[in-house]
Amino acid sequence: MERGVNLPIAAGEVTATTRKVVRPARPWWQYIEPYLYLLPALITVLIWVYRPLAQTLELSFYQWNLIPTSPRTWVGLENYIRVFSLPEMQRALVNTLIYMVGILPLSVILPMTIAILTDNVRGRARNLYRALIFTPMIMAPVVISTIWRWILHPTNGVVNNTLDNLFNLEERIRFFTDGNLAILSIIFITGWQIIGFSTLIFSAALANINKEYLEAAAIDGAGRWQAVRYIILPLLSPTILFMSMLTILLASQWTFAHINVLTQGGPLSATTNIYYLLWNYGFQSFAVGWSSAAAMVFFVGFGLIALVTLRLSNRLAFYDN
Amino acid sequence: MEALRTTTGGQLQRSSPRSHLLLIVLSLVAVFPIYWMILTSFRADGELYSASLLPGQVTLDHYARAWNAIPMGRMLLNTVVMAASQTLLQLMTSVLAAYGFSRWNFRGKSILYALFALTWLVPFQATMIPNYVTLTQLGWRNSLAGLIIPHASSAFAILLLFQSFKSFPLELIDAARIDGATNWGVLWKVIFPNLRASIASLGVLLFISAWNDYFWPLLVTSHLENSTIQIGLQMFLSTDGNLWGPLMAAATTASLPILVVYVLLQRQIIDSFVKSGLR
Repeated sequence: MERGVNLPIAAGEVTATTRKVVRPARPWWQYIEPYLYLLPALITVLIWVYRPLAQTLELSFYQWNLIPTSPRTWVGLENYIRVFSLPEMQRALVNTLIYMVGILPLSVILPMTIAILTDNVRGRARNLYRALIFTPMIMAPVVISTIWRWILHPTNGVVNNTLDNLFNLEERIRFFTDGNLAILSIIFITGWQIIGFSTLIFSAALANINKEYLEAAAIDGAGRWQAVRYIILPLLSPTILFMSMLTILLASQWTFAHINVLTQGGPLSATTNIYYLLWNYGFQSFAVGWSSAAAMVFFVGFGLIALVTLRLSNRLAFYDN
Repeated sequence: MEALRTTTGGQLQRSSPRSHLLLIVLSLVAVFPIYWMILTSFRADGELYSASLLPGQVTLDHYARAWNAIPMGRMLLNTVVMAASQTLLQLMTSVLAAYGFSRWNFRGKSILYALFALTWLVPFQATMIPNYVTLTQLGWRNSLAGLIIPHASSAFAILLLFQSFKSFPLELIDAARIDGATNWGVLWKVIFPNLRASIASLGVLLFISAWNDYFWPLLVTSHLENSTIQIGLQMFLSTDGNLWGPLMAAATTASLPILVVYVLLQRQIIDSFVKSGLR
């Protein structure tokens, strides 16, 4: 089989077993040709993703303050033990969960409902709505933070001004400095960016559903709700799982920029999350060991979540084959 | 079958005022903040806090003040150069890699493929400190090289292009081979011209995400003159947090190229975003 290894895929060849085995010997450079095409991308990924990942693992066993001339001290597993007894870390973990759970309705439930309710809209109107609803997705996170800070500003923002005109507020709403409200504001902003994208994903998945199922169900006397419950939802299950996984895995990334720009984790760590904490440990407190240890734990943790979700989607999701 | 569409299950086919109302509300929620940003950026100081939805007196003062407050031209130039070079490099490396993956069966193919596919599981925060050290050692901090070269490849682009390369008709490739084309020739004379449209729309996607990137420039740059417009906006917000007119002018400027591209190409942009999400 040695010779069969690098054969180009040709027409009519479906799998490796259908390949012709007898071929004239080919020059050596044909064996390395495929690798040459991969090389530029591979080098970049190895140097800037996997090598630093391995180095982070290494740094997680040392104490170091990011200053090149200062020594690194081996501390074994101490960073791992320390990191999880820190009160900020517990707060950050709880907040990370709040972000995930808070964003899910805006990235899965609401978009799915809207997509199902509006599936009947067709033609030019549909395209116009699509274009408008999608716009937040292409905006930069920093721009979005800046706009919302202006709109939600306690004394000059349009939301507070309008509410004050209508209801004569006793106290202006401090969306980003009130300890209870700040995290909700960041969840809202993050959801605002993602909701249109998610709605379009669900719409596209709905458009792929074979409408004959619905017609057959209608002939059998199924009501609207029954059609949704027994036909549409099962057929949407791969999309539901996909968007949920995306939210769980990326909620901390999506919120990072907003946290950094709007609250810096405050007031009193009310809005911090794990990634923001890692950033702070690394570049504000220069606790490289803590940051690296926590990063490794979350890398493995999120990897496991992804693995489980992919397994689940193979088992639970209903595919219309 | 037409008659069935009016029965219960077929109700999904009929457009109702309620659906339009829902979509109109959603559209307004999506677009209002962006409209408000642009509106504020053109408003005269006296009307800055007005709740009116229409512009009164239009002025460019805020833009002038924003340009004086931060090195806007320089940062815009940096961002254009960074986003354009990243896009070109990523397209180049991913076209080559997707071709390698789709054209041959070779040893370690699935491992190498997984190496790319799994990068999205590696969070920025799990690599940032060693990357920061490397950037410092190379002397690439506050440089365009540091902004561009580490992002020379995109796993997302490779996976997406691999899908379209894989479904490219093999008959065309074989015909070209019989005519004496080399593998390199097949890529650029047969496959590339045929897939130009999807490669171009991938390019638009890559440009948008490079332009909007926040994490990497935050790590690489510490001086405004060497940074991108996103970092500039954030700095401006943290130093002059109440200059709402100039701030909105800066935010509008930072979004302008993306908004223009979006207005021109929204159909393709939405389609490729959704397609990549559905993959």
